Parts: sequence; structure tokens; C-alpha cells
Amino acid sequence: AAGGAYWVDSQQKRYVPVKGDHVIGIVTAKAGDVFKLDVGGSEQASLSYLAFEGATKRNRPNVQVGDLIYGQFLVANKDMEPEMVCIDSSGRSSGMGIIGQDGFLFKVSLGLIRKLLAPKCEIIQELSQLYPFELVLGMNGRIWVKAKTVQQTLIIVNILEACEYMTAEQRKQALAKFSGN
Amino acid sequence: PPLGERLCSAEEATAGSGTYTRHGFIFSSLAGCLEKRSEDSGLPVVSVVRDAESQLLPDVGAVVTCKVCSINSRFAKVHILYVGSTPLKSTFRGTIRREDIRATEKDKVEVYKSFRPGDIVLAKVISLGDAQSNYLLSTAENELGVVVARSEAGVQMVPISWCEMQCPRTHTKDFRKVARVQPQFLQT
Repeated sequence: AAGGAYWVDSQQKRYVPVKGDHVIGIVTAKAGDVFKLDVGGSEQASLSYLAFEGATKRNRPNVQVGDLIYGQFLVANKDMEPEMVCIDSSGRSSGMGIIGQDGFLFKVSLGLIRKLLAPKCEIIQELSQLYPFELVLGMNGRIWVKAKTVQQTLIIVNILEACEYMTAEQRKQALAKFSGN
Repeated sequence: PPLGERLCSAEEATAGSGTYTRHGFIFSSLAGCLEKRSEDSGLPVVSVVRDAESQLLPDVGAVVTCKVCSINSRFAKVHILYVGSTPLKSTFRGTIRREDIRATEKDKVEVYKSFRPGDIVLAKVISLGDAQSNYLLSTAENELGVVVARSEAGVQMVPISWCEMQCPRTHTKDFRKVARVQPQFLQT
């Protein structure tokens, strides 16, 4: 088909910041008007407190050290420190911002994230029939999950981590075991 | 003479570089070697020299050649290598602020699209700088800006306009603030 894109698929765990990628960052420091986030790259990313929806100099977002932030890269190249924002080009948050309390954050390989982000991903569809849960996928290999109870959350986490190496058949068998409970 | 030593009376000689006059006497302001030069017009000139050759310092308004060492969204940090056409023995540090890169449309400037680390830039000194001894430089003229830049492939790029350079091997275009070098300085 004309106008397609070519890419080389590879197995990688180390994330390199790319402009436009949506990632999950952990707040490590507050330096004046800027937060420093750990995104799993070689440098920490900076996030201005004004880069949130509805933020003004008087109305600051309530961000503490250790919070999880879902945002996208505004600037990401090999010569400069990466910069993140939690609003899109029109000024709306479109799902980005501070990720709520509780839940579980864990790390997987970048290839699994790309598989999960593909449209009509089977893994997500099968898991959603098991329990209802909230899911945030970061292109830097980080996943945040929150279900009703801690046990359900941990079950989903273990299945997602194991999806890396399981075939579709093994996955259906594992899910069948849990849906019986 | 050591710093502050009284050299001679002000009637015997005139104060030169590295000295000053107080209470009718000439004192040295540097620790170095005493030099006495006889002028044709009467009194000899007394000066104190620190090194064998005096260091050439960039002055306000001088055009300097520098190499970009790091960039930021607000400014670019450079090492000053040449003042005019004389190389410096020790490099000085300089800063080019984002608003000093261009003369027009200063708020639309992106430092990443004007300079990259490793570029050789012609700039003009606008201030001797702050306490961290960073000279303040500006490239806000047509003749100032990037002279030599390398592409990602490692090949020296060719300027195609005042804001773009092209790699001759991969033909990719990169954004730079390109200097319009005077024809008499170009060597073919």
C-alpha cells in the first residue's frame, strides 16, 4: 500500500526517548518551576508545572516526589535534556497527567508494549473479560495496573509479565484457570 | 618585581602596562618581569610583563571563533578558540543566549535548530560576562553563525541557505543558523 511506514522490530529493554512518545515517569525532584522525572533513559526528563491542563501560576498541580506521571515528550534528541508535557498541542490533557493512588507499576520489554498497543490486542481483550481493571502503558516499558483488590491486581501483573514468553495457547489455558475462581 | 613594589619616581619614567601611578611614584600591579623601554620623546616607559607573550583577551565587539560544547533550550555553551585570527593558548568559556542568536523573530528561535554540539561558530562578544567568567556572545548578524558543521554521518555539511545545511553524502538537510562568510575569506 502506498504511504506506508517501514520499521525494524527488535528486542530491546533499554528505552531511548523519542519525541511524541507517551511514557510513564516517576517524579524524583522538584526544582523550582520544573519537576525532574525518571523515564528509564540516560537522562532525567524535565516537566514544567505549567504543562498540565488548567495550570496557571496561581493554580499549581499537586505533584509530590514519588508520584507517577503519564505524559509525552515535547523535546527528545541526543544533544539536549528531554522535556515532557502533560497536554497535547491544543492544550487538552487527553488522558495524560498524574496517575492516581494505589495500583502497581512494573517493567516489561519494549517489544511487549508495542504488541499491547497494537489495535485489537488479544491479550487485553481476554484480560478484560477476566476482571475489570485500569491500565496505563508507557512506551518506556512501564505498565501501571489497578484492579478492585490487590489479589486481582497481582494476577493481572503476573499474566502480563508472562505474556512475553507464553504462546497464545498457554495464555488461554492460564486465563481459563483464573476465570474459574 | 613582586606585586605592589614601588618601581621608581614618576619624574624618571612614564607608567606603561602592568603599572600604575600613586603619590608621584610608579608601582607595579602585576607580579612579573620589569621592562624599561626608552621612548624618543623624552622619558622611558616602564612596564611589567607577566609572561613572555601577553595573552590576547577577547574584547567587547571582537569577532571570535568558537566551538559549541553543549546546548540547552535557553542557551548554548561554547569554548572560544580564536580571537580574530590569533589562536588562544587556553580556551575561554562563552554563552550564546537564545535571544542573541538571531536579530529578527527572536521568540521563534529554537536553539536545537541553530546550533549543535561540535559546530564551529563565528560570534561577537557583547559582554565580558558574569562572575563565572562566561563571555556573553551574539550571532545576531548575517556574517555570524555556524561556519563548519558535521552531519550525523560524520561528513562536513554544505550550507544551502541562511537556515539550512545539507550533508553531501546522505543529502539530509539539517537546520543551523548559517554565517554568510565574506567572499574574500572563502578558499577554493
